[in-house]
Amino acid sequence: MSAAVRFDGASQGFSRRGSHRSALAEVTLDIGAGEFVSIVGPSGCGKSTLLDLVAGHARPATGSVTVGGQPVTGPGPDRMLVFQEHALFPWLTVTQNVEFGLRAARVAEGERAARAAEWIARVGLADAAHLHPHELSGGMRQRAALARAFSLRPRVLLMDEPFSALDAPSRDRLHVELQDLWRETGTTIIFVTHNVREAVVLGDRVIVMSSGPGRVIAEVPVTIARPRVVESRRVVDLAQHVRGLLDEADQMGISAPREGKDGYVSI
Amino acid sequence: MSASDAPAPPREASTPPAPSVASRPLRPRFSALPATVTGLILATAWWLASVLAPALPGPGATGHALWDMGLDGTLVSIVWRTAAFMGICFAVAALLGVTGGLVIGMSRGLDRGLSPYLAALQGMPTSMWIPVAAIVLGTDVWSLGAVVALGAVPAIGLSTRTAVRNVPPLLVRAGRTLGESGWSLTRRVVLPAALPGIVSGLELGWSIAFRCLVAGEIFSGALSGTGIGEVIGRARATGDLTEMMATVVIVLLFSVTVDRAVFARAQSRLRVNRGLVDGGLSR
Repeated sequence: MSAAVRFDGASQGFSRRGSHRSALAEVTLDIGAGEFVSIVGPSGCGKSTLLDLVAGHARPATGSVTVGGQPVTGPGPDRMLVFQEHALFPWLTVTQNVEFGLRAARVAEGERAARAAEWIARVGLADAAHLHPHELSGGMRQRAALARAFSLRPRVLLMDEPFSALDAPSRDRLHVELQDLWRETGTTIIFVTHNVREAVVLGDRVIVMSSGPGRVIAEVPVTIARPRVVESRRVVDLAQHVRGLLDEADQMGISAPREGKDGYVSI
Repeated sequence: MSASDAPAPPREASTPPAPSVASRPLRPRFSALPATVTGLILATAWWLASVLAPALPGPGATGHALWDMGLDGTLVSIVWRTAAFMGICFAVAALLGVTGGLVIGMSRGLDRGLSPYLAALQGMPTSMWIPVAAIVLGTDVWSLGAVVALGAVPAIGLSTRTAVRNVPPLLVRAGRTLGESGWSLTRRVVLPAALPGIVSGLELGWSIAFRCLVAGEIFSGALSGTGIGEVIGRARATGDLTEMMATVVIVLLFSVTVDRAVFARAQSRLRVNRGLVDGGLSR
């Protein structure tokens, strides 16, 4: 269950009080079906906007975005978005949260319960299925959010810095588990992060973006054997190379805004 | 369960029942002590006031009148008729207010068009409509019922609208991502997320409705049929406040019961379910 994603000259901007600011310059990008792609860049480089375009929460100002050859017209259960904050519904238990999307997709009750239980077990939350989100740790909440997304069998999984608010041990564990889940399901995953090592650990390919307006400045293939961990020598070396690309773009100042100007971020 | 049952003794020894007993006191337990102490202090203050102002019946005389009203059935009749009148009017108000608030909260245009008028209606004392309704609809239960029901709608509607507006956009986005839209999204995401604010609005609406009911009774005793108006009429005619004070006590007890049984319970359940109660030592 996976689909190819294609950005064809897609751009996006915001208009606020008459002034127009471009968030994303024209981006052309091909992501293969079943590929795991990391997108890394400073805050404000349009990474999240890219995900929004695929998720159907935003429309490109120019160009087009297609998933499995079909243009994106709005949100759909074939494209799941996992957020930085878990975005679980606080009034529902873990099971009810996972069943939420299945219910919306009109999955029959018996199958709904079975699929929810299966995915809750797969992310290691079987003992916490009856708890509310506030009774879980940060890592467990993101696991529940992963189960909620995966249970709908999406063709594309979009992840918007999902582990950036977690403690390092939880994050490392989830890196390994996410690679396992990806291998087992074959879903296309687009993983956005500002953490260079995380991008290298997870992606088949790392897309490097620069800000003001957001654009792709490099693509780095990652051929290190999986499962990878952040401490691995080869991961660290490749991360340094990617870091160098980001710094280079920053120092050249081609597109990075000046200090004090709109959109400026220190890396 | 015979004495020769071999595995029983070691199992008993390995699972002592002590931990479950020890964890009991951590659970919140309803204690009537603080409320009783406050009640006694208030009763003493009331007794002092009745000594200083002879026209005011004291707790003793009022208690006696309450006892008499209980014996001749007036007490039950007032409580029952008040509960029925308020129940029906409030149900109508809650339905209209919450539905209206949801619709206004979800639509920017309707919000701009309607909210100023709702705010004006909410600011205005609802009881001003009573004479208007009494003349247009006639002096009977329906006219006061309409005023009481509609009087609570603006407060409930505005609270619901604000609660809907304050729903975290992330949850709405999550609901959309998971495949919900339109009315279904409202029912499954917006409504539950806004529920704490909606319950506060209902509480406010309830007190507005109750005030309006009594204002109607003061205007004309024939309006609500709860019997409160007749008591007010008799007190006005004779100058004897004993029965009046007894009725005040009945209404107070009625309000306390509704608050404890409905609103306070709903609020506390919402808080516990959403993790807004500190689960630590203070619990």
